[in-house]
Amino acid sequence: MIELQGITKVYKTGSQILEALRGVSLKIGRGEFISIMGPSGSGKSTLMNIIGCLDTPTAGEYVLDGDRVAGLSFDQLAAVRNRKIGFVFQNFNLLPYATTWENIELPMLFDGKSGQKRKKRVSELLNAVGLYDWRSHRPSELSGGQQQRVALARALANDPPILLADEPTGNLDSRSGEEIMAILTELWKAGRTIVMVTHNDRIASYSRRIIRLFDGMVQQ
Amino acid sequence: MNLTLPRFFWSEYRKRRKKASLITFALFWGTLSILLLMAFGQGMTIQFKVAFSGLGETLIMVYGGQTSLEFEGLPKGRPISLYPEDVDYLKDRIPEILRIAPESYNYLQVSANGKEINRSVHGTTAEFALMRTQVPQLGGRFLNADDVAEGRKVAFIGWKVAGDLFGGGDPVGKQIIINRIPFTVIGVLQKKIQDSMYQGPDADQIYLPFYAYRQIDNRRRINQIHIQPHEAAQSKLIEARVRTLLGRKNRFVPDDRYALSFWNTIEDAKEGMAIFKGIEIFLGIIGALTLLIGAVGVTNLMYAVAKERTKEIGIKLAIGARRRVIVEQFFLETLFVFAKGTFWGFIVAFNIVHLIRLAPINYDSFGIEAYLLRPELSLQIFAAYMAILGVLVFLSGIFPALRASRSNPIESLRYE
Repeated sequence: MIELQGITKVYKTGSQILEALRGVSLKIGRGEFISIMGPSGSGKSTLMNIIGCLDTPTAGEYVLDGDRVAGLSFDQLAAVRNRKIGFVFQNFNLLPYATTWENIELPMLFDGKSGQKRKKRVSELLNAVGLYDWRSHRPSELSGGQQQRVALARALANDPPILLADEPTGNLDSRSGEEIMAILTELWKAGRTIVMVTHNDRIASYSRRIIRLFDGMVQQ
Repeated sequence: MNLTLPRFFWSEYRKRRKKASLITFALFWGTLSILLLMAFGQGMTIQFKVAFSGLGETLIMVYGGQTSLEFEGLPKGRPISLYPEDVDYLKDRIPEILRIAPESYNYLQVSANGKEINRSVHGTTAEFALMRTQVPQLGGRFLNADDVAEGRKVAFIGWKVAGDLFGGGDPVGKQIIINRIPFTVIGVLQKKIQDSMYQGPDADQIYLPFYAYRQIDNRRRINQIHIQPHEAAQSKLIEARVRTLLGRKNRFVPDDRYALSFWNTIEDAKEGMAIFKGIEIFLGIIGALTLLIGAVGVTNLMYAVAKERTKEIGIKLAIGARRRVIVEQFFLETLFVFAKGTFWGFIVAFNIVHLIRLAPINYDSFGIEAYLLRPELSLQIFAAYMAILGVLVFLSGIFPALRASRSNPIESLRYE
C-alpha cells in the first residue's frame, strides 16, 4: 500500500544544507499498525509528512496505492490527503472558529459530498467518539481528550484507508491517551492502516511493527 | 446545521468582522463620494442641456452683417440685411430645413393694469414656439398660424412680464398696451432655466404675431431668422446653403464670413456637452480614487487575515482543501467587506440625492444652484459604479487570495 524507495529530503537554509531523510526505504502493507520512533531530529515528522503527501521528497520514489506521488499536482495531492489519508496531530489542529460538527464535516465539504451524506456521516462519527452532545461546541470549550477525539472523527470523515497519527497522545493526560489508543486499535482491527509517530515505548507497544529512525535513516 | 462552503466562510467572517469596521467605513465613504460626485456631474450635464434648451434645441440663428470682400465690382463694407421674404426664399430652396421663423424686436413701452414698463417686444410666427421652447402655462397658448396670418392683436408674455404688470393675477384675457395699441394676452411662458439668450431671458420678453408687430415697428428689415434642421448633423450644410443663397440674392461672396453671421446652437451644445462630460468624468475619477483608498484598505486587511490565518489555511490544506477553496474563501470575504461598506454608502448617497432634488430652483435668479440642485443617480451611474467596484473587489481580493492559496501546508501548520 505504501512503498518508499530511497527517499531523501534535503532542506536548504542559506548556505546550510540539512539532510532530514537519507535514503529511507520501507513498505507498509494494507491493514498494518506501525509506529515510527526515533529521537528528536531523526526525521520522523519529515517522513510522516512525505507519507501524508504534505511534503514531497527531494529524491527517491513514493508509491501510494499503486500511484507514483511525485507526478501529482498540488490539487491532486490535496485530493489524496482528502480521500485516502486521515491526519491526527499532536496539537489537534482543529479550526478554532468552527464547531465540533463543522470541524468534522469540513473534509467532506471539500470532497463535494451531498448535505444528506455529510449529515449522516457526522452523526455517526460523533456518536462513535461519544461527542454528539458536544456537537455545537467550539474547540476551546472542549478538553484535550475531547479535542483529539474530534480530530480523530475529522480524520475518518471521508473513510480513508490510511490514518496518520503524529504523537496523538503527546498533549493528553494518560487516561485520555489510553482512550485515543483504544479507538486507534479498534480502527486498525476494522482494517485500517495506521502509521503513528511516537517516542513513547508504551504507546508504540499498541502497534504491531516499529520502525526506528536515526539521523534520517532507518535503523535495521 | 447543513453546511455549505459559502455558509462556512460566512460563519468564519462573522467572527472577524469587527476588525473590518474602519475599512467598512472607508468603503462607505468611498461609495458615498463616487456616487455623489457622479450624480452631481451627471446632474450638471443634464441641467446644462435643460438650460441650453431654454433658448432652443438644434437651432441656427442667422443675422445680417457687412461685406468684407468685393463682389463683381461692388465695394466691400456694404450692409447686408435680412427681410421677411428671405424666410420663404430659404425654405423653398433648402430641403434640410424643418422649421424656419423670422424675428424682429425692439425695446418698447408696455403698460397694463396702471403699470408701465420698458420691455423687448418681438414679432414672429407660430413655428417660433417649437424652436425656442416657448411652453405656455396652463390655460394659455402661444401664437398660432391664424394669429400671424390675420395680424391679430394678441400677445404671449414671459412670466416676469406677467408678474411686473399683473402681480399674482392671471393675465390671460387681459389687455396690455404697446405703443398705444391694445393687445390681448393669450398665454404666459412656463418657468424654465435658460443659460443662453440674446435680448435677455425669455421671462422678460413679449411676443406678438409677426404682422401685428409690423404695425408698431414698421422697419422692413428683420433682426434674425431662426432655422431648425431635420437633423442636427445638417446644421453646417444649412449654414453653407444659406450663405450661398443669400449671397446670390444680395450679391456677396458666399465665403465672406462677415456678410452674414450665425449662432449655431448645435455646435455650441456640442462644445458645452464636451466640457460637462469632461467634468462628469473628472468627478467620477475623483470618486473612484476615494473608493480606491477603501479598496487598498481591504487588500491590507485581507493580507493581514491571510497571515493571521496561516495555521488555519495549513489545517484546511492538510485535510484536503484545494487551492480554489482558499481563493474562494478570500474572495467571498473580500466581497462581504465590500458589500457591507458599499451598501450603506449607496443608501446614504441615494437619500442625499433625493433630498437635494427636493430643493426648489429659483427661476427668477438663474444661478449656480440650477446646476447643483438636480443631481441624478441614473442606471448609467450605477452601472459605471458597479464596474469600478467589480474591478476594485477583484484587485483587492485576488492578491491576498493567491498568496494564501500558495501557502506551504507544513510551514502553515507550524505557524503560531
